[in-house]
Order: sequence, then C-alpha cells, then structure tokens
Amino acid sequence: MPTLSKVRAGKRAAMRAGEAGTRTEYIAFGLAGETYAVPIAQLAEILRPPPITGVPRAPRTVVGVVSVRGRLVTVIDLRTRIRLPPAPMDHRSRILLVDGGTEHIGFVVDEVQQVWRLSPEEIEPSNVLGGDQAAHIAGIGRPAGVEGAMLILLDLRPLAESP
Amino acid sequence: MSDGGGRGDGGARDDFFSEAQELVDGLGRDLLMLDDLLKKGRVDPEIINDVFRGVHTLKGLSGLFGATRMAGLSHQLEDLLDELRLGRIDIGVGVLDLLFRAVSLYARILAAEKGEAEDPVHDVEQLLLALGQVSGRRTGEGVGAVAQYELDPGLLGVLTEYEEHRLRANIQQGFGLYRIRALFSLATIDTALDAVKANARPHGEIITYLPTGSSSDADTIELEILMASKAPLGVLSAAIRSSGVTVEEVQRREPTTAALSIHMTGAPQGPAAASAAGAVPSVHPGLAPTGQERESRPSVLEGPRPTGTSNVPAVTAGGKASSARAPGQGEMSLRSVSQTVRVDIRKLDRLMNIVGELAIVKTAIARLTERARGRYVEPREFATELARLNRSFERHLAQMQNGILEVRMVPLGQAFDKLARIVRQISREHLKEVNLVITGAETEIDKLIVEELSDPLMHMIRNAIDHGIEARDDRLSVGKPVVGTIALNAFQKGNHVVIEVEDDGSGMDPKALTAAAIRRGVVTADEAKEMSQREVFALVFMPGFTTKEVATDLSGRGVGLDIVRTNISKLGGVVDITSDVGIGTKMTITLPITLAIINVLLVEIGGRPFAIPLASIEEAIAFDEAALRTVELREVLSVRGVSLPVCRLDRLFGLTTSSRRARSFVVIAQVGDRRMGLIVDELIGQQDIVIKPLGRSLARVRGFAGATELGDQRVALVLDAAALLEEVLVPGETRFFGAAEAVRS
Repeated sequence: MPTLSKVRAGKRAAMRAGEAGTRTEYIAFGLAGETYAVPIAQLAEILRPPPITGVPRAPRTVVGVVSVRGRLVTVIDLRTRIRLPPAPMDHRSRILLVDGGTEHIGFVVDEVQQVWRLSPEEIEPSNVLGGDQAAHIAGIGRPAGVEGAMLILLDLRPLAESP
Repeated sequence: MSDGGGRGDGGARDDFFSEAQELVDGLGRDLLMLDDLLKKGRVDPEIINDVFRGVHTLKGLSGLFGATRMAGLSHQLEDLLDELRLGRIDIGVGVLDLLFRAVSLYARILAAEKGEAEDPVHDVEQLLLALGQVSGRRTGEGVGAVAQYELDPGLLGVLTEYEEHRLRANIQQGFGLYRIRALFSLATIDTALDAVKANARPHGEIITYLPTGSSSDADTIELEILMASKAPLGVLSAAIRSSGVTVEEVQRREPTTAALSIHMTGAPQGPAAASAAGAVPSVHPGLAPTGQERESRPSVLEGPRPTGTSNVPAVTAGGKASSARAPGQGEMSLRSVSQTVRVDIRKLDRLMNIVGELAIVKTAIARLTERARGRYVEPREFATELARLNRSFERHLAQMQNGILEVRMVPLGQAFDKLARIVRQISREHLKEVNLVITGAETEIDKLIVEELSDPLMHMIRNAIDHGIEARDDRLSVGKPVVGTIALNAFQKGNHVVIEVEDDGSGMDPKALTAAAIRRGVVTADEAKEMSQREVFALVFMPGFTTKEVATDLSGRGVGLDIVRTNISKLGGVVDITSDVGIGTKMTITLPITLAIINVLLVEIGGRPFAIPLASIEEAIAFDEAALRTVELREVLSVRGVSLPVCRLDRLFGLTTSSRRARSFVVIAQVGDRRMGLIVDELIGQQDIVIKPLGRSLARVRGFAGATELGDQRVALVLDAAALLEEVLVPGETRFFGAAEAVRS
C-alpha cells in the first residue's frame, strides 16, 4: 500500500501529466491487503453500507440485498467473488455500485482509497501475469513517478453480469 | 434537438412500439373474424378493408421509424390485400394462413426491433416469397356476369376497380341489382344522402353513386345509386321511400346459368391452380366465396397434399416446419413488446381529483405547522388536529392506491385474443379441428400478469391440442364430435383470478403417468404407490417428463409443462390438473389479481423480518411445540381436527434461532387448494408494501417473490407462498429435498 507522501506525489504527477493525453480515471480500493482499481466510469455510486438483508439459500458470494433510493440492489462480497479469503465488514467497508445492465450490483470492498488518472503507458496488459487471467482482470496500473505503486485493474462489468 | 433529442426520440420510439403493437393486435382480431365468417362461407369486404388499412398504417409507421423489414413485409402484404380487396384473388383458408403468419411475424419483428429477440430474417423472406406467389396469380373473376345486366356502359366505364369487384361479387352471390334515382337539394345533400344510405344499408350494398346530369334546376342534383340487394323490389322501395326517390330493378339480359359459366372461366388455368393448390389449398380461381368454403374444407383437414408436389408446396412446408420446431428460441412468444396500458380518461379524472384532495390535506398541514410555529398550541389540541389530518391523508392515499391499481388492470381478453389465433394455427398444423370457447374474457387482472400469462397459456393450449384432443378418426370411433373443444374460462375468486384450460380430449391415465415416471426414475415404484391422484397428475410438470415413447414433433421442443409451472409460480400462482380418461383434462391456474402493492403479514424468523402476502394466508395462530406430531418423517399439526403439514421456515432457510421457544406461531398458508403451516418465531403485524422483484442475479433462489423496504431503511424479503408450498408439498426433485430436511429434524 502506498504511503501518504507517495500518494500525494502520485497525485501531483497525475495532475501535471493531466489534460495532455487520454487519461482514464480509476478509483483505488483495498481488498485483502492489495490495492485494486476500477475505472470510475464503471461505478454508479459509492455507498457506506446500509443494513444488508441476507437472502437465505442465495449463492455464497451474495451478502444480501439493500434498497438504494427505492431500488433493490444485490450486494456481492468482492473478496469471495474473486476467491480471496473472506473478512467481516467494518466501518471502513464500502459498497461500489455498478450498473449491471438489467440490475444494479453492489460490491463490498475493504476500503476506498483515492483516484488515479492513468495514461495508457502506465497500464500493463493483464497477460504480464501469465497465460490465462480471469476476464475481470483488465491489467496492472503502474502510476509513473510513484515508486512501488501497483494497482490491480479490475473490470467489474463481467462480475456484475454473472455475480 | 441535440440535447433533448435522445430522450424525445426514445419517447417517440416507445409510441411507435405501442401503436404498432396495437395495430398488430387489431389485425389478429380482424383475421379471426374473417376466419370465422369464412367457416360460415361468407366474406365481409369491410373487414378486408380494415386489414388493408391496418397494414397500410403499419407500413407508414414502420417507414417513419426506419423499421425496414417491417415496412417491406407491410408493402408486400398491402399488395396481396389490395388484390383481395379488388377481388383479383379469392380469400381462402390458405391466404388467411399467410396473413396469420404475417401477424405472428410482425410480433417477432417488433420484438427484434426492440432488441429482445433475433431478427426473423429467414422467416420473413419465406413469407415474402409465399406472398409473392399468391399475389402473382389472379382470379379470372366472372367478367361475363356483369355483361348480363342492362347496365349503362357509361356507368360501367367510370366504376373504380374496387367498385367493379364489388359489383361482380354481388352478382356472383346471386343478388339483384337496383338502380335508385334520387333528387337532392344541394343545400341538404349531405344529410339526405346519408339518410338514403342508412335506409338502404340493411338490405344490401351500395356499389356506387353518380350524378345523372339530368336535373333541371340549378339548386338540385339527381344521383343514380347502384345497389345490390337480395331483397325484392317491393321491400327495397318501401325501405328507401322518400320524396324524389325511385327504385327500379336492373334487368338481366338473359337469365341463364350464370354461376356455371363463372366456374368455367376458372378452369382453363388448371396447371397454375394445381401447383398453387398445395401451397394455398383454397385459392380456386373463379370460385365464388360461398362455394369456396365447401370446396376447400377437405384440403383443410388433409393439409398440403403429398401428390402433385412442385417447388411451391415445399416452400410452405418448410416454413411451417420451422415455425413449429423452434418456439424454444423465443420464436413463438405472445408477449407484446409494448408495455402500454390504455386508460379511460374518467379513471384519470378520478385520480386527479384525489390528488386535489391530497393537496388540500397538505395545505392543512402547512397551516397547522405555521400556527404551531407562531404561538403556543395546546399539545392535546395539536395532536387531535394532526390525527384528523392523518386520517384524511390515509383515506385519500388508499383511494389513490386503488385508483392506480385499477388503471393497471386490463381484461384477460387481451391475452385470450392472441390465443384464439394460436389455436387456429396449431389446430391446422396438427390437422385437428378445434373450437376454442372463451368465457370470462372481461375478468380484469394486472397488466404485468396478463403479459406474463400469454406464453404459459399458449403452452397449455398447445399441449391440449397435441396430447389431449384425439385425431379425427379416434374421436369418431368413440362417438365424440369431430370438432374438439378447448374451453378457456376465467373468473375472479376473492383476491385471485382463476383460469381454466379444459379440453374434451382423451384425458390422462394415472397408471400410464406413474409407469412413465417410474421408467424415467422420477419416482420409485414404492413412492408411486403412495401418491395421491393429484400428486400423480402433477408429475407432468416435471422437467422432461413425457409419456410418449415415440417423440412427436411437439415433444423434444422444450415445450414442457414444467416451464408453465415455473412461469406461473413466478407470478405467485399455482397450477393444478384434474383429468378423466376418455373425457378430458382440466388445468386450473390460480393467480393473484395484482403484483404491485400487496398487503402482507410481517413475521420474524431467526431474528429477521420476512413478509408473507396476506392473500395467501388463511390464518395465523399461536401453537405449542408439544402439539406437533410426526407422520412419515413429516411434521403435522392438527388444527381443529384437520391435520396440516407444517414447515419450519428457520430450518428451511438455514437460519439459526437463538433459543428453542416454548411457543411459536404457525401461519396457515393456502394457495389454490393446497394448505400448509409455516412456523415462524414472531408475528410483527400487517403492512401494505410495494413489492420489488429480486434481481436477475438472485433469480435462481427459490421461495421469495421479491423484497420490500420497511420504514427504517431495512429490507424484508417477501415469501412466495405458492413456491414454498409447491417445494415442500409436491413430489419430484423438491420432494427429496423436503424429505432430507425432515430426516435431519
């Protein structure tokens, strides 16, 4: 996890490079000690977890359902979904809301960290990790000018479509 | 336009879908009427005109919205209908078949345009080909017939093609021709002419009217009206008599066997007719509509004849086969693409009035708030006032809710109309004559349910025709009428709507059913012995269940009744079957009237709130654990002398109840005629809720109809009583699950 100063440096670097190229905004979040990121454009909303109603006999990945402004949302535990060890939710947990086409899906993450603006050169394709990567791994983000910062870039849409 | 354009476009497109859907539905109804009339040997030109106009409107509409495939189909259909209208082609069962096919294709194209289904490119092409073949061949209509009448060549010269056709058609039906001369004052000609027309219409058809040009003064005009009627001259002149009107009969030159000569004119076209007869059995050139039905009946029953095949029948046969084979791919869906409800403006007015009432309540609350802010208000007085306003608010809200529910209600007839079309098609595919008798089409039910109901009903009717109604010879040999009957009855029963699909076919033999179930390993022989009659019949709802050893073209197409059961239970309903061998089968669907706002009983199970729809609850009672008995591993409670199977919901749902309670509650649920007790920890209370479906991601979780938001941001799951009862009580894959539960207890 990047230290605060690194984070600031990264932000500044991002600002400088800023408007020049085709940068994509990513939101970084922590999950089981790693830093992941998804394109902000994929998110409808970030929520503090409301009370979640468990659904008996639902698949293991489903935490339950919540109502977001009158709309029923299925909440998925992102840790379980991408086969990381499960952990209880705490006050830092957040729900990332993704429009899955027919319905909105919420993904529980450990914490939300910051926004990164990445240019295409700062993104390594997912195949650097080896042959077959799951469809939801979109690549590795290496923000320029930030020593040791590494973001696992996720595509939440396939996960939302088959939670 | 740049900004609002997208939205406006979407709105207009929605309008397109709802309008197109309505037109297509209308076409279907018109065609059914034509079909009915044709069976009685009659043709109503007005209906053909209606169909023509409908298709024409559709063409314009689809052109406007760039629905090219639809516009193309409409164009070709328009050609055919124009020929029909002008009498160049005789309408017959074969032509009607094509038109019916067009209607179902329209529905699929609409769905494709909406992106809900695949574009039926292939089928459209096939139909276009078939349409072209029919349009290309014209009838040699009895031209000679007209010449037998002493009609003014000047008059004949100015007749439009349509009028000419009507003239010929009327002569062929043996109607007499009358010439009516009437003198009108120019000032009142509109109303006076309408009056004459209205008087004449009951007796026949007005073919044309023209000014005679013989009027002597400038303020009047004389019209010559040519009319065909079967009434004798005396009756007609009595009916139309008014000042300045004369009626005379147009004389025949030689009253010989006109009808015979008409038949002869068609004969020389033999080869063309023969090759077409396979594809379109009833298009007999030159045959009067009255004679045609009798002629074509046998070919209706035999279908495309195997003899005399050319490439023409092959096209039709192929088309038919493909339309019969693959309904599983969404090919034959009766659901409309439009989600529109037509509302009587008076209902909206009532709603508007209620909104007005609510505004008054709101003003009163504002005034009260203002008063309380301005000076000290005695708390008791304040409370009284507030309570009064609350009551008023509640009352109006309830009215509003009812009003909106009412707006959502549509007659079941909407679904039934389409079914009548399907019955016609299927019965012709299977060469069985079937009469669909509908009662209770006016029964109202939520629009959403009607839409979801179309397809299950279609499957049930398909099933009734294929497996229920016997072949013609079999029916004759057991002394049943040749024409089979399928009755579709709907009626309201409390908060539910009951729909029955009943056939007078061969019925189901419980022994054959259990034998097939044992053979397929669905149940063991021992289990089969203990099954009640109802459980046996319920076997047909098992996935992949069939008693037929040899697959017909219907089996193996995924049109299993299990889909019907699944779809119906999604709507919160149940299906039951009763059947008598040799007499028939009756399937009964019981459905809630609406899905939108429901009254529920909130209960607590394992420390969590759940809602159970009141519509499926008979009563809720406290009971003592000690009163439970076990019968064959199932827990049974005896309530007022009747034993009731019970289900522990906490166990079924895998929830842990903190402590073993001495006292819990049992909610007695009843759906259709199944009853079961659901054991819950606590009763919380009644509430009106808006039910929301669980998302697609949870579609496979059984037992819940949806969820609802409680006042405090929490969400409660709504139990699907029908599905739970089904799961626990009905044999099959779920029964073993239930048994396993019981063993664990």
